[in-house]
Amino acid sequence: MSYLLNKLQLANPRWSVFSRILAAALGGYALATSSSLLITQLLMSLVGKYQGIHIGLMLGFLVYTGAVMWAFSVTTATRAWLGLVKLNVIFLLLTWALMQVNS
Amino acid sequence: MKDTFRQSMKWLHTWVGLVVGWVLFFMFLTGTLGYFYQEITRWMQPERPLIVHEVSTEALLDRAQQFAEIHAKGVDEYDILLPSSRDQNLRLGWRHAPEPGKKRGRYKQTVVDIESAENVATRETGGGRTLYRMHYRLHYMDTSISYWLVGFCTMLMLLAVITGVVIHKKIFSDFFTFRAKKGLPGWLDSHNALSVIALPFHFMITYSGLLFFLFMYMGVSSNFQTNDDEFKEMRKEIFPRSAHVEPAGIPAEMRSFSSLYDIAQQQWQTDNLRYVTVHAPNDINAQIAFVRNETDITYNQGDEVVVNGISGELISGNHKDYTVSGVIHNGFYSLHEGQFAGTLARWVYFITGLIGTAMIASGLVLWTTKRKPQQMKKLNGPDFGYRLVEQLNIGTIVGLPIAIAAYFYANRLLPVTMENRGEWEVHIMFITWALLLLYPAIRPAGKAWLEQLQLASIVFILLPMVNALTTDKHLGVTLPHGDWNLAGFDLTLIAVGISFAFARYKMKVIQQSNNARRKPTKSSIERSTNRKSPLENTPKPDLVLTKTGGDTV
Repeated sequence: MSYLLNKLQLANPRWSVFSRILAAALGGYALATSSSLLITQLLMSLVGKYQGIHIGLMLGFLVYTGAVMWAFSVTTATRAWLGLVKLNVIFLLLTWALMQVNS
Repeated sequence: MKDTFRQSMKWLHTWVGLVVGWVLFFMFLTGTLGYFYQEITRWMQPERPLIVHEVSTEALLDRAQQFAEIHAKGVDEYDILLPSSRDQNLRLGWRHAPEPGKKRGRYKQTVVDIESAENVATRETGGGRTLYRMHYRLHYMDTSISYWLVGFCTMLMLLAVITGVVIHKKIFSDFFTFRAKKGLPGWLDSHNALSVIALPFHFMITYSGLLFFLFMYMGVSSNFQTNDDEFKEMRKEIFPRSAHVEPAGIPAEMRSFSSLYDIAQQQWQTDNLRYVTVHAPNDINAQIAFVRNETDITYNQGDEVVVNGISGELISGNHKDYTVSGVIHNGFYSLHEGQFAGTLARWVYFITGLIGTAMIASGLVLWTTKRKPQQMKKLNGPDFGYRLVEQLNIGTIVGLPIAIAAYFYANRLLPVTMENRGEWEVHIMFITWALLLLYPAIRPAGKAWLEQLQLASIVFILLPMVNALTTDKHLGVTLPHGDWNLAGFDLTLIAVGISFAFARYKMKVIQQSNNARRKPTKSSIERSTNRKSPLENTPKPDLVLTKTGGDTV
């Protein structure tokens, strides 16, 4: 086991880059999705459900871009992970709360 | 990632651009050719007649109707595509009977000889359509894999565009300071200039590219929020389509299209017809939709007048109501495809697309140029990664255009009766590209650049001559006849060939001056250490060195 761990060289900065790429790709996509849900709930009463969904989806790519840029701007990969998870949770909670209000 | 935000973004920009740069180059180049795909198809079917000048729209419509009565009997719906500035032949298109095992038949167009109203037998070719479809469909791959791969690359492109803006401190002032020097500053400035000059286009084309597959890429969210029925309803709201009429099953004789067109013209007050769609022909419910040239960027809004084909009664209610988000979405489609563009705007699209292609190419070259001085100092020669990037650059940036030329050569040189001819045109294109990707592996990079650029200039300049030898639709015929569609294609090929020759010349000059600077000979070292010659800073010794200095790259 320890041999394997040594072999993987977890302290190598490459792993930190790899972890950050994963955070940006997965966390960013999750944020694009959760933000689109939130936008739908925010706009639903104004423009109707379908347009709300549609606008949320269209903005998703821009949210994704922003999330990736942010993930690569923070000092460590761990921070990137934590930040994206936090923001996702907040978006989902807000979505849930708005869903209660809207329904 | 790095110390400052800008440095982190610079890092991201560099690697994001490099990872998918070659695929993006392929997408940008084939996509740019798409702005002329109809023109390309016409060139690739030299059996088609030359432009016929001064035929009235009414005469064309009646010719097409006459043709449809014989050749498109029994189809539910067909289109009449009128000669336009893009494709100067009259065409009829309809969905043919499905092949065994397929749900829907293929939509095919038939060229109609305007003078004889006869069917023009054209060679089998993928034409411009196959070529431009590669920019989102790729080739040899399952469609959904292609779409995801293209989506991934496009997403990274969007990242590269936006990080590119962020890392650019003085985006506008930089634009006006083109340092026409050789080496790094020159390449960097080219990259900056090409990026800034068409920045709105780069953003629009990338973002709209993602919108084409919005419900696929953002599928998690849309599937979560809608069930199948709701999804269909939502799509209908975003992309309203004209209601299609069902045949009643009662045959009736249609009025002549030219007389029905009078009704449309009264609505429009112009003669600007683009195409006609005939629904349920020769049925009591027959509907003829006259669609005007799109001048509005709202996609598919195609100003149409629909009349009953039997009574000539004007049918209203085919207007499409767009939602606000629908207008944005369809507007982006329209901007991406440029269907509304006239000849001039189409050329602007084409050139802007080429600027985007060149931006990607210069970015890729910049990556190697920046690392070159350091790589050249290495005792064991440059790293594998560096060599790989360099080879992929040469093989793609110059190799792909040559491969596209090979596609056109195959169109002219493969036997007309050959089986799977259309597919073989594409095979030849990709075989050529593969060879040109391998070639830089066995040649020094500097030589490979020059040789492939030279090959590119030769194949493009020779292509109109091969056209002249193999067809009767060459410059000697098309120019006097005033068929600018076909003549323009040949002339563009020559212009491209000359551009490659010029690029080769520039590349050679850059290489010579680089060699002179990098590899001082023994005598020059002695000169510079032993005596302070006033000639030292003049270009003269450089010229001497050029002759004696070896090829380092």
